[in-house]
Amino acid sequence: MKFKTTDMIKQWSLMIMLCLIAGTESRGQGLLESSQAEFNGFVRGSAFGGSELYDYSALFGEFCLQSKFSQGKTYLYADLRFRGGVNFDEEYVKYQLREVYAGYQSDKFDLFLGNQIVVWGRTDGFNPTNNITPNDYFFLTSDMDDQKLSNFMLRMKYRISSVIDIELIGIPVYSPSDYRFDLFDLGDGVSFGEATLPEKSFGNGSLATRLNFEFSKAGVSVSYFRGYDPFYGFNVQSVDFTTGVPVIINSATPYLKNTIGLDFDLPVSSWILRGEAAYNITDDYEKNMHIPNPDIAYVFGIEHNFGGVTTILQYVGKQTLDFTKLQLPVLTDPSDPLAQIQYANEMIEYESTLFNRKMFYQQEKTNHAIVLLLSKAFAYDTWNIEVGGYYNITSEELMIRPKITWKITDALAASLGGNYMTGPDNSIFNYSSPVLSGVFVELKATF
Amino acid sequence: MKIKNILTVVSLIFATSGIFAQTAREISDKASNAIDFEAMEMVLTLKILDAKGRERVRQVTTASKKYGETNKTIMKITAPADVKGTAVLIYDYENRDDDMWIYMPALRKTRRIISSEKGKGFMSSEFTNADMSKPNMNDFNYKILSSETFNGHPCWIIETSCKNEDIEDENGYSQRVTWIEKETYLCHKIEFYDFAAELYKIQFMEQYKKLSNGKYFAFYMKMENRQNGRKSVIIIDKFQIGSNLSESTFTPAMLDK
Repeated sequence: MKFKTTDMIKQWSLMIMLCLIAGTESRGQGLLESSQAEFNGFVRGSAFGGSELYDYSALFGEFCLQSKFSQGKTYLYADLRFRGGVNFDEEYVKYQLREVYAGYQSDKFDLFLGNQIVVWGRTDGFNPTNNITPNDYFFLTSDMDDQKLSNFMLRMKYRISSVIDIELIGIPVYSPSDYRFDLFDLGDGVSFGEATLPEKSFGNGSLATRLNFEFSKAGVSVSYFRGYDPFYGFNVQSVDFTTGVPVIINSATPYLKNTIGLDFDLPVSSWILRGEAAYNITDDYEKNMHIPNPDIAYVFGIEHNFGGVTTILQYVGKQTLDFTKLQLPVLTDPSDPLAQIQYANEMIEYESTLFNRKMFYQQEKTNHAIVLLLSKAFAYDTWNIEVGGYYNITSEELMIRPKITWKITDALAASLGGNYMTGPDNSIFNYSSPVLSGVFVELKATF
Repeated sequence: MKIKNILTVVSLIFATSGIFAQTAREISDKASNAIDFEAMEMVLTLKILDAKGRERVRQVTTASKKYGETNKTIMKITAPADVKGTAVLIYDYENRDDDMWIYMPALRKTRRIISSEKGKGFMSSEFTNADMSKPNMNDFNYKILSSETFNGHPCWIIETSCKNEDIEDENGYSQRVTWIEKETYLCHKIEFYDFAAELYKIQFMEQYKKLSNGKYFAFYMKMENRQNGRKSVIIIDKFQIGSNLSESTFTPAMLDK
């Protein structure tokens, strides 16, 4: 009897399993529908070094697991990273939830909640309308996109028609970008303290919306952002004169802004014109050095293929509104100790404000820069050479980034390249170069 | 009696001059229509073999549907892993340049791309992007060269020449010679000639299956590059006529799904 019962259980189990399998098969709506659960990822070893200040700016091994699950209208995505190595001479082991979100998606409407990376704008590399995603500018790898960081957000997209969609994003908690100016040689007595982040409150959240038109002959978007900019400024937190030499502690201090944006792309024969512009509105910038003036930032680009070389040429400009020149302080009475202290304070204010202006490209009323991106694939796309160049005409700063990639097999790729930055004394690139100029090599296996 | 003789002579003249016979353009149009679908979805495997026989494999899922006069196609790469998730959307117009967008997961945004490079290799293979879509029939001149039996099928041999250098550049060849089966209008072999009129590539279409709507589809296609020894093979793993996908699926905003 016992034998028979076991047999029955086995038979029922088999039938249930077959029913489940049959049910799973019948759920597929079409060949284009992705499978219910997918697991992908990569393992890579990456080295970036040879800078003036650090032999090993970044040496690490990384395991990445990306999983996607969809069933009906339910969707979830996770990108998990385990990384260990040396970052600017400091050993570390890091576990990162690069993106984790869940939600609902249909033909008309998407709703996702969780940590997400969002990229807005149609131009390349410089996107004045993209104010949502913070970056870790000091995570040095072969791929600049590795620097993107996620935000916790509620993201909704509604497709009004086949050519119009609207996106709405709410970010409850501010996430700043990461730029380690503590690594720079800014002079004796200058250091960086704790960041002054906005309180975690509803009022300090960010809101962004984008109305996108994707017509056959052109694409256009208008967008709006209200919130703290991930690219923050610096305030002087404290100045200590007790040692005789001023000891200055700076504090990263985000600022609130409103941005109205516009971007477009326009194919003309075998050329594509792309453009992007943002009107950034700020308040209290006269009294706070960490808040930039209102400005209009714009990028205009043109893309064409010259004999197999994909060429993108962009003009990057900025018009600073309500601009006033900084006045260099004058020591009125060198023999008066009070005048000396006042002069020192004014100089600290002047230098710190100037530093912020350089970061925001507001050192002059107008700022002009040129970007050139070249890319060429060889040997049936198994080799790819790309070169990126940036020259700021106003500040005379230059960056060149060559890279060569060899796809050894379908699953294994090697990259070799470098990053070179230079600029006049006391320019941002002049400070950055001893840290960020260097060469990189990477070996990456995907699965 | 006299009138009857005249009509007979006139008919013979017309028949020999080809006025009542099909022109090369008509045959080519019918060949194009024999495999024309209003809508379909398929999963294909693309094998790329270099001259030493080393193989790389790509897998693509694609769907195509006609809306008005525009044929909309979406292609999603499912393997290898490093390019998985890359998706391309093509709006194929009869008489003007196509619109194309690409979504690359690493960039996290959809980009409009230039569509004039139809002659470029499709996913690094010997097939070109032009081979993946219906050609603009008005871009070419057509001529019947001869008839021949190919693999047991009586065929016309049709020469198709690009009308100008721009069209040559766009498609990556100067002319092609096509073996079209007389009974079914199916293409079995196409020779491609480069800009110097040298034989460049040969495409073979095999395993035609007649589908429920009376149209045909080749489930095996091979392209041999006679100049560098490389070969590429497309194997159709799954195929369905028609598509339940809504028009909103064929939009740039849905490429990242």
